[in-house]
Amino acid sequence: MTILDIIIQQITNGLILGSFYSLVALGYSMVYGIIKLLNFAHGDIYMVGAFVGFILLSFFSTFLGDGWLGILPSMILAMTAVGFLGVIIQRIAYRPLLSAPRLSILITAVGVSLVLFNSVMFVTIGEYKAFPSGLGYEGITMGHVHITYTQMVMVGATAVLMIALHLFIAKTIYGKAMRAISIDMDACRLMGIDVNKIIALTFFVGSALAAAAGVMAGVYYGSIHFFMGFVIGLKAFTAAVIGGIGSIPGAMLGGLLLGLLESFGTQLPWIGTEWKDVFAFGLLILLLVFKPTGILGRTEIERM
Amino acid sequence: MVRPIALRDRTLYRTAVIRHGNAKTDGLTPLFQAEEKFVLGETTTQRRKNMKRIGLLLTMTALAALLAAGTAAAEIKVGIMVPTTGSEATYGKDMENAIKMAVDEINAKGGVLGQKFTTFTGDDGCDPQMATAAASKIVSASVDAVVGGYCSGATLPTLKIYSDAAVPIVIPAANSTKFIDLNPGNAFLINSIGTYQVETAVGLFKKLGVKKIAIVHQGDGYSEDLASLTQKEWTKLGNEVVAFEVVNKGEQDHSALVTRIKSKAPELVFWTAYYADGALIIKQLRQGGFTGKIAVGDGSTDAKLMEIAGKAAEGVYALANPLPEFLGEGQKFIDAYKAKFKTSPGPYSALSYDGMYLLADAIKRAGSTDKKKVTAALKATQDFKGLSGPVTFTDKNLLSRSNFVVLVVKDGKFILAK
Amino acid sequence: MAGLEERLFVFFDKRSHRRLVQGLLVLVAVLIPLVGDSYLLEILTNSFFYIVLCLGLNIVVGYAGLLDLGYAAFFAVGAYTTGILTSQFDWNFWLTIPAAVFFSIIAGVIIGGPTLRLRSDYLAIVTLGFGEITRIVARNLKELTGGASGLIGINRPSFFGLELSQIHHYYYVFFILVLLAIFVSFRLQHSRLGRAWQYVREDEDAAEAMGINRVAIKLYAYVIGAVFAGVAGCFFAGKMTAISPETFQFMQSATILMAVVLGGMGKIPGMIVGALALILFPEVFREIGSIRMLVFGLVLVMMMIFRPQGIWPERRN
Repeated sequence: MTILDIIIQQITNGLILGSFYSLVALGYSMVYGIIKLLNFAHGDIYMVGAFVGFILLSFFSTFLGDGWLGILPSMILAMTAVGFLGVIIQRIAYRPLLSAPRLSILITAVGVSLVLFNSVMFVTIGEYKAFPSGLGYEGITMGHVHITYTQMVMVGATAVLMIALHLFIAKTIYGKAMRAISIDMDACRLMGIDVNKIIALTFFVGSALAAAAGVMAGVYYGSIHFFMGFVIGLKAFTAAVIGGIGSIPGAMLGGLLLGLLESFGTQLPWIGTEWKDVFAFGLLILLLVFKPTGILGRTEIERM
Repeated sequence: MVRPIALRDRTLYRTAVIRHGNAKTDGLTPLFQAEEKFVLGETTTQRRKNMKRIGLLLTMTALAALLAAGTAAAEIKVGIMVPTTGSEATYGKDMENAIKMAVDEINAKGGVLGQKFTTFTGDDGCDPQMATAAASKIVSASVDAVVGGYCSGATLPTLKIYSDAAVPIVIPAANSTKFIDLNPGNAFLINSIGTYQVETAVGLFKKLGVKKIAIVHQGDGYSEDLASLTQKEWTKLGNEVVAFEVVNKGEQDHSALVTRIKSKAPELVFWTAYYADGALIIKQLRQGGFTGKIAVGDGSTDAKLMEIAGKAAEGVYALANPLPEFLGEGQKFIDAYKAKFKTSPGPYSALSYDGMYLLADAIKRAGSTDKKKVTAALKATQDFKGLSGPVTFTDKNLLSRSNFVVLVVKDGKFILAK
Repeated sequence: MAGLEERLFVFFDKRSHRRLVQGLLVLVAVLIPLVGDSYLLEILTNSFFYIVLCLGLNIVVGYAGLLDLGYAAFFAVGAYTTGILTSQFDWNFWLTIPAAVFFSIIAGVIIGGPTLRLRSDYLAIVTLGFGEITRIVARNLKELTGGASGLIGINRPSFFGLELSQIHHYYYVFFILVLLAIFVSFRLQHSRLGRAWQYVREDEDAAEAMGINRVAIKLYAYVIGAVFAGVAGCFFAGKMTAISPETFQFMQSATILMAVVLGGMGKIPGMIVGALALILFPEVFREIGSIRMLVFGLVLVMMMIFRPQGIWPERRN
């Protein structure tokens, strides 16, 4: 492989990995933007999404056959189901604590994460499940660079979801309400916005996106397991911070950027795969210390 | 973060008001409690009055419950030490199932010395800390012997606990080379230790005529041990290890690693860890257009490898303790296991099953359940016929031969490589 | 039930009554090895170990109000210091303790120094990141740490010629550590520093206005918490004789945090109850062993909603 081949291939790898990070990071960022909660359980929502998708696809593929025909309805249903799960979690675990000290709600989020993680572990007896996607890896080959059709669809699907989200936030009345709440929740309440409903909606959208990423991961990688959410949760949070937490375009950009950084980080001879995660977390820490607002974050002035 | 002076002043002003309010009228306090502060609200004098009330009760009840545990047994009690929680739980369950199946079979035939077996499982969680607690639990349950040990790192620190209680332990899976020096004499390994697997691996690579290989492990004791031993042996022969990589547990995307490996142009990639991530690596290697050969260590030799990797697994070489499929009684074992547990046996199920039968055999030969006699009988084992081959121990209580075979995936199944 | 609680309050209002109960508890703890089997001792020793860790984390989370999700990293520093120095450099076990204290302080300053200016939720994620980094570093520095297999065959400490090898030895060693940790925690809580932590926790800006150096005060909490974990880690390495990076995963930090929250942040008896509950609960109720973390997660959520002050009751006025 020539240097150019490697660069093109790593860009492809980075973009795909980054797509997953972006989708999960969006949920972190939206929730943080609206109620200033670092939702630790978000990575596990992604994992639950993958398992819901697995159950649905196992069902659909019995009469729709392998391939995209079964994947699409599974994905949409999984997004809806997990969206509601997000709303339920929000209603039970977070809403009673919205006015409580921040430490309480953070600890609650850690608790929710443990519950989701261990429930799935208990149900699946810790087994890996092979995702019945039935997709091959035909694709385009240019020299040593190989890009499969599945990979293209993955990146395309992410783009569609992101554009849809952007339109939702920018053009609809609900999106407007979300943006308003993130600026001043009390003022919104006074203006007659049903704040609780909008917060629930935010959780729905964020969780649905994570579920979409989970199903896509299942389809693309072909196997799912109960601890798949932990690493990506951490990485997606990193991505959200890189982009500027609370910012929607920031989360998208941050995800892609982190994906690319990791891919090239793997290739660098003096970093290699052993130190890849140290590299990613080190970057996160440096960023938080020196530029906590990220690339696209608002320069918030707040009481510490 | 630098805050503008104006805001800072305002904040101070506000907090000053709060404090003032606090001091004057208590009625003001709730108004400000929504602010970001963490109220644990106890003053020094209050805390000094704080006291131990529940503590005593709780401790006493717990102690009583604990003391009640651990009664003497009329049957032969076998401890099972495997991970039943955590990331390795699936392998642990495979082993526990197989051991229990063997116990049921032996009991159905009337047991040994007229006594039936009962089992007692301790969860080692594949973690040294949990394992020592599990081992103490097993010993305190006054077991006669133990079958178990999946993770080497978790099993090693328990050996002392067992040897203090003179309990013999048959270890079906854990096979770190560290067992050679740290075995107090009561542990018997029926899986070939790592060095044997390395020999088999190096032999295979030579036969395949490759020179440049890449080795990938998963950052745990077992796979790292195998990976670095292979690297040492392979370079000693004047060959080249062009890439020595590690992947993190729980990660799914290895495409960047695949590109890195591809750019080093190895003729063969050797994966030393378990099937779940192995399948992903294989799949992504093929997806990324890697056309060289792929070999995997014994932790990956599992039907799930093909289930997850699909077509990509075709032609993959796998090192294995002889799988039951290739042994006389093997198919019967697989069918019985499937009928009983509604799932396929795992990579160490057959060895665990053998371990239990070996123990029963040793007790029969010892003619008693006396721990010392059973240990001696285990040591004296000569060509015990297990599913995975004959068992004889060296003076270090290791399997006296390499039981590794080379398999290759063909049409979604493992077959013996020619 | 409420009547009983009330009566207990009255009973314990007297200092002599309190002393009596405390004395009895210590006596019971000292006598247990005479009657308990090795399993009971193992479990209790493990509980003691967690009590020390909880008391340490309590200083960070309870006293200073900083959420630390990577506390296992400090415990790893202590364990690896002892492990490396005894097995590779043939140090005496007892000499490694000051070394571990030293390295814990360094680690506390490295992690705390730049990050303590951050907002509380950022701090949580940074500490989580540091926890992971520590584990990966321990895994990757093969020559020093034994890589992923970890260090095996660490020398056991001996005490005036007596090799500490039996479980009841460690039972007493950890029991003494617990007493020491309680004493230090108690003294800290009622010191000038303890009051400063309380101010910072309740209202940072007001505290700063009162002339308290916010960052320095937090850093003290961090470093002292690190030293607790570091020393506990030394004895952990000595007892286990084997340590591996897997022991210091996020779940370890989460477990310790859970015990702290369960017992009641900021309360010393709460830490004891929390750690005991965490270790004894899955042992007593064996059936739920495999879902203990699930139960703990649920308990954590419910505690925060219904009883954020923890199991240990608040003094009512």
